Amino acid sequence: MSKKVGVYICTGCGIGECLNAEKLTAIASGPPASAGTPVVRTSKAFCLEDARIIASDIESGLVDSAVIAACSPRVNTDIFRFDSAFVERVNIREQVVWSHPPNHDETQALANDYLRMGIARAQRATVPAPYQEANERSLLVVGGGTAGLAAAKGAAEAGLDVLLVEKTGQLGGYARRLHKRFPQHPPYRELEAPDIEATIRSVQSLPNIRTLLNAEIESISGQPGRFSAVIRREGAREQMTVGAIVSATGWVPADPQTLAAYGLGKYPNVVTSMTLEEMALKRSLVRPSDGRPVKRAAVVLCDGPADNAHLPYGGNVSSMVALKQALYIREQNPDATVYVLYRNMQTPGPYEYFYKRAQEDPGILFMHCDIQSITENANHDIVVEAAHTVVGGSVRADVDLLVISEDMVPATSVAQPSGTLNLTYLQGKDLPATQFGFADSHFICFPYETRRTGIYSAGSARQAMDLAASATDGAAAALKAIQSIEESSAGAAVHPRSGDLTYPKFFMQKCTSCGRCSQECPFGALEVDEKSRPALDPNRCRRCGICMGACPVQIISFEDYSVDILAAMIKAVEIPDDADKPRILLLACENDAYPALDMAGIMRLQYAASVRVIPVRCMGSVNSILIADAVSRGFDGVALMGCKSGEDYQCHFIRGSELLATRMQNVRETLDRLALEAERVSVMEVAISDAHRIPALLEEFTQTIKRIGPNPMKGFE
Amino acid sequence: MASAIAIQPDLEFKKQILGLGAHDLTACYQCGTCSVVCPISTSDNPFPRKEMVWAQWGLKDLAMANASIWQCHQCSTCTTYCPREAKPSDVMAALRDYSISHYAVPQFMGQALTHPKYLPLLFGIPAVIFAAILGWLGHLTALPEGTVVFSKFLPILYIEITFMAFITLSVLGALTGGARYWNAMSAHMKANGRQPTCGEPRRTKLRLLSTLWTILKHQKFRDCKEDTAKRVTHKEHLHRAHLWVFYGFLGLVVTTTSVGIGIYAFGYLTPWPLWHPVKILGNVSGLAVIGAVTVFGYRRAADKEKAGKSTYSDWLFLSILILTTATGYLCELLRLSGVRQIAYPTYYVHMLFVFFLLVYFPYSKLAHVVYRTAAMLHPSSAASPTAQS
Repeated sequence: MSKKVGVYICTGCGIGECLNAEKLTAIASGPPASAGTPVVRTSKAFCLEDARIIASDIESGLVDSAVIAACSPRVNTDIFRFDSAFVERVNIREQVVWSHPPNHDETQALANDYLRMGIARAQRATVPAPYQEANERSLLVVGGGTAGLAAAKGAAEAGLDVLLVEKTGQLGGYARRLHKRFPQHPPYRELEAPDIEATIRSVQSLPNIRTLLNAEIESISGQPGRFSAVIRREGAREQMTVGAIVSATGWVPADPQTLAAYGLGKYPNVVTSMTLEEMALKRSLVRPSDGRPVKRAAVVLCDGPADNAHLPYGGNVSSMVALKQALYIREQNPDATVYVLYRNMQTPGPYEYFYKRAQEDPGILFMHCDIQSITENANHDIVVEAAHTVVGGSVRADVDLLVISEDMVPATSVAQPSGTLNLTYLQGKDLPATQFGFADSHFICFPYETRRTGIYSAGSARQAMDLAASATDGAAAALKAIQSIEESSAGAAVHPRSGDLTYPKFFMQKCTSCGRCSQECPFGALEVDEKSRPALDPNRCRRCGICMGACPVQIISFEDYSVDILAAMIKAVEIPDDADKPRILLLACENDAYPALDMAGIMRLQYAASVRVIPVRCMGSVNSILIADAVSRGFDGVALMGCKSGEDYQCHFIRGSELLATRMQNVRETLDRLALEAERVSVMEVAISDAHRIPALLEEFTQTIKRIGPNPMKGFE
Repeated sequence: MASAIAIQPDLEFKKQILGLGAHDLTACYQCGTCSVVCPISTSDNPFPRKEMVWAQWGLKDLAMANASIWQCHQCSTCTTYCPREAKPSDVMAALRDYSISHYAVPQFMGQALTHPKYLPLLFGIPAVIFAAILGWLGHLTALPEGTVVFSKFLPILYIEITFMAFITLSVLGALTGGARYWNAMSAHMKANGRQPTCGEPRRTKLRLLSTLWTILKHQKFRDCKEDTAKRVTHKEHLHRAHLWVFYGFLGLVVTTTSVGIGIYAFGYLTPWPLWHPVKILGNVSGLAVIGAVTVFGYRRAADKEKAGKSTYSDWLFLSILILTTATGYLCELLRLSGVRQIAYPTYYVHMLFVFFLLVYFPYSKLAHVVYRTAAMLHPSSAASPTAQS
C-alpha cells in the first residue's frame, strides 16, 4: 500500500496548552506508529488560513490522505473537505482536551492513541468512487386523493415528470365524500366547502403530470433513480421507469364489526361519521329508523381507555370530525341538542378556535366522560350512559341519533386482492409496517421515509390526518422524493448519511451464500443472484453497514469503513501493562452517541481517560469479531453505545440496535470461550440529548472493569 | 353508587346563567383545575367543576339543589387558574343570583330585583306608605317646628309598626325560600343515596353552633384567603372588608334594638346624646359599613378583570347599602346642624332606603344571609360518611 499520509496537528482551542504537541509529532513522524509518514505539520488554527497548507499538500500530490488532529469531525466539515483526498479527523478537542484533565499522562496517552488510530485508518481507507448509473428524474405517485394530488402538483411544479396512478375512476379521494371541511382561514371559526375540484383542475392543467385512472400497480422493481413500474389499466399493461415513488394510498374505515360494541349494525340509529357525512351531504339528517327529525343527538369520539379494544391509537381527526358533525346537526336541525362525548379532545393549532366556536353554540353540550353502555329503547331511541364525568357520577341521555367516529386505518393494512405497491423485493411486496399497519419509519427524524429507499409515504397512509395535513404531507413527501432523485443520480446516500458516496463491496470469492446480509438489511437493498449470493441495488442502500456487521465471513466493506480498518484502529491502541490504567473500547454510534460524547466535551464534563472511542455507522454495523479482537488485544472492556431499541426504537437505521442485541448472544459465547467475564462487554443506550449521562455511564463501567480486574489476555500479543 | 343522572337539558336555564355575567362559561373544557385550586373545596365534594358542567348542560334542578354554590365565597382563585378563561367564580355568582330569584316567595319578588325597570315600584311602595303616614300626621304640608327631632316628624311607633309588618312578611318569605332550598338539597342528597340528616339531635345542635361560630369568625373567608401562600387569589380584600361590613351591620342592628328597648322599656326618648355608648356603637358601625362598601365598590369598578363580572344585583345591593348608611349620617348631621327643611325630607328618603334594604332582603344579595347559612348548615355540605371514615 503506497498511501501518502499527511498529519496535521492543530494546537488551537486549548489543545496546545493541555497536550504535548511534540509527542504527537513524534508519533506521527515515525515508529512506533507503523510506517512513518512523510508530512507532519502543526498550526495554531488549521481552520483559518492554514487550511490552505493542507489543500496545497494535497494539490501538489505530497499527500493523498490527510489526518487532521483537531476538532470533532462534526464541526468545520466544509473547511476540512478535500474532494481528491481521504480525510480522517482525529477528535483531540471535544473528546480529549475538553473532557479530560490537562497535561496528565493519561490524557496524553489518549491523544496519542487517537492519533495512531487515525493514521491507521488513513493508511487503509480510500476515496470512494460513487455509483452513478441510475438517474431517472420522474416521480410515480400512487393514489389520487388529497395527499397524492398535492405530491403530484408539488413535484410537477418543481419540474419533474409525474405519473399519477389512481385506482378508482376519479381523482379526489375522500374529499369528494365530505359535506364540509375544517376551517382553514382566520378566524378559524366556520366550516368550509371541501372544493377538491379546484385542486384537481390545477393538477390536470399541468402538462408534466400524466394521470392514469382505474389503474393499479402490478409490480415495482429496481432502485431509486431507476424504478421499473408496471401499471395495469383496463386489461393492458404498461412499463415505466421512474426515479422515486410517493405512496399516498390513503385510509379505509376499519371493519365495522370492531364497532359493534357501540351498537353499529345492531341499532338503526347508530351511524358512523362517514355515514353522517353522506346524510349531511344529502341534507337528510333524520333518524334513520323512521325518518323523523333529529331533536337530540350524540357524537361519540370513542377515544377513552375502554375504547382501546377497537383501535389502540387515536388522533386529532376524530375530535375535529365530532365538532364538525355536531355543527352539521345543529345547522340542519336548529333546535336540536347535540352531546359531544369525549375523553381526549385534540384540536391542534388554530383548530382550537373552532373548538371554542363549537362550545359557544348553546345547543352543543360537551361531556368529558367514558362511554359505559349504548342501548336502544322501544322507541329506537339510543340510550347512552357515560361514566367518570366531571360531575362525579354517571349520566344518561336518550338520543335520536348516535354518531361514532370512523376508525381510520391505512388502506395498506387491509388485505387487498390486487395488492398495493407490489414490490418485487426479496423481503416482500409491501412496505414494512408497524404493528398498526402504517409504513415503518424513524418517526422523529424521518417520518416520510419508509424502509424502502426512494419510496415515501404521505397522507393518511402514513398517519391518520385531515385534508389540510394530507395536502402538506403530500408536498413534503414530494420534496423528499426529489431529494432522493438528486442524491441517487449523484451516487450518494439520501439519508441519514446524506451525501455519503461509499456503498458496500462484497468479496464474493469468500461468500458462503448464507443470505444473512440480504435478510438483515432493514431496507431490502440486497437481492440475491442465481447462486444465492447478495446482489446489491446501491441506491436502495443507506450505507449503515448492517450487512457488514452481519457477515460471518467479513467479506463486506466500504472504502473508508470495514472490519479491517476498525481492527487496525483497535490494534493501534497501546495497551499499558498496568492494572491502574485499564483500557476500554467504546464503539459509539455516529448518529446519537458520538454527538452526545462531543456535547459532553463542549459542556466540559469530565469522563474516564481509559476510554478509546471509535465512531461506528450504526450499532448494527459492529461485527462481533471486532469485540473478540479487542478483548484478545488486551482491552479490559468493550462498551457499545447506541440508540434505543424496541417498539419505540430510536435507531436511525431502524433495526441496528435490535440486531446488536441478538448478536450479543454470540459475543457472550465468545467471551465464555476465552474464559472472560460477560460483564466486560456492555451495551449502553443513549439519546442525542444524553450528554449529561455520559460521565456516569462510563464511570460505572470503568468501576465494573476495575472490580473484575485486568484482562488476563493483556500482553499476550 | 348513585344511578346515572338522566340529562334533560334546560337550555333556557343555560341562557339565563350566561346572561347573569357567566358568558365565558362555554369556554370550559372540563379539566377540573378549578376544583383543584379551590381553597375550600374538598376532595369528596369538589366544586366548582360540577357546577360548571351543570350550568353548561342546563341541569337546573341539580344546580339549584346544591350546597356548593353557597359554600363558595368567591375568592376567584378558580378564575385566576382556569386555563380556558371560563371564569368559574362568575358562574358560581350567576348561579347564586339565579337561585335567589328561583327560590323567592312570592315568585314576583324574585324578578323584581333583577331589573331596573322595577325600581319605581320598589321605591314606590315605601314612598307611598310613609307619605300616607306623614300626610295623616299633617307633616306633608308643615314640618315640625323647633329643634330637629325625627320622632316629631315620623314617630317611632309608626316606623316600628310599618317595619314590623313588612319585615314579618319578608322573614316569612325568606324562611319559605330557605326551606325550599333546604328541601331541594335534602331531596338531592336522598337521590344520591345519602340520608339528609346529621344523625342524633345533639350532633345537629353542635353543627348549628359550629356553623354560627364559623360565620362569626369569617372562617371561610379566612380559608379562602389564607391559602394564598400557595395560590394567588384576586380578592385579598374580601375577608377584611366583609368582616367590617358584617360587624358594622350587626352593630347597627344592636343599636336599633337597644334604642327600641331604651324607648319602650325605659322611656329613654331619642335623640340620645352623641357620647352615649349605644350612639357611639351606631356611628362606628355605620362608618365600618361605609368603609367596607366603598372598598367593595371600588374594587368592582377599578379592577373589573379581577373582581369578576359585576351584575345589576351586585351594584344594586352595594348602592342601597351605601345610600342607606350615607343618608343616615346625613340625617344625623342635618339634625345636629338644625337645618329643619332639609333634615326632615332627608329622613324620609333614608326611611325609603332602610325599607328597601330590610324588607326586600330575601330577594337582594342580602338573601345570602339565609341561603348561605342554609347551605353551611345542611348535611350535604358536611363531609360524607365515606370521607369521614
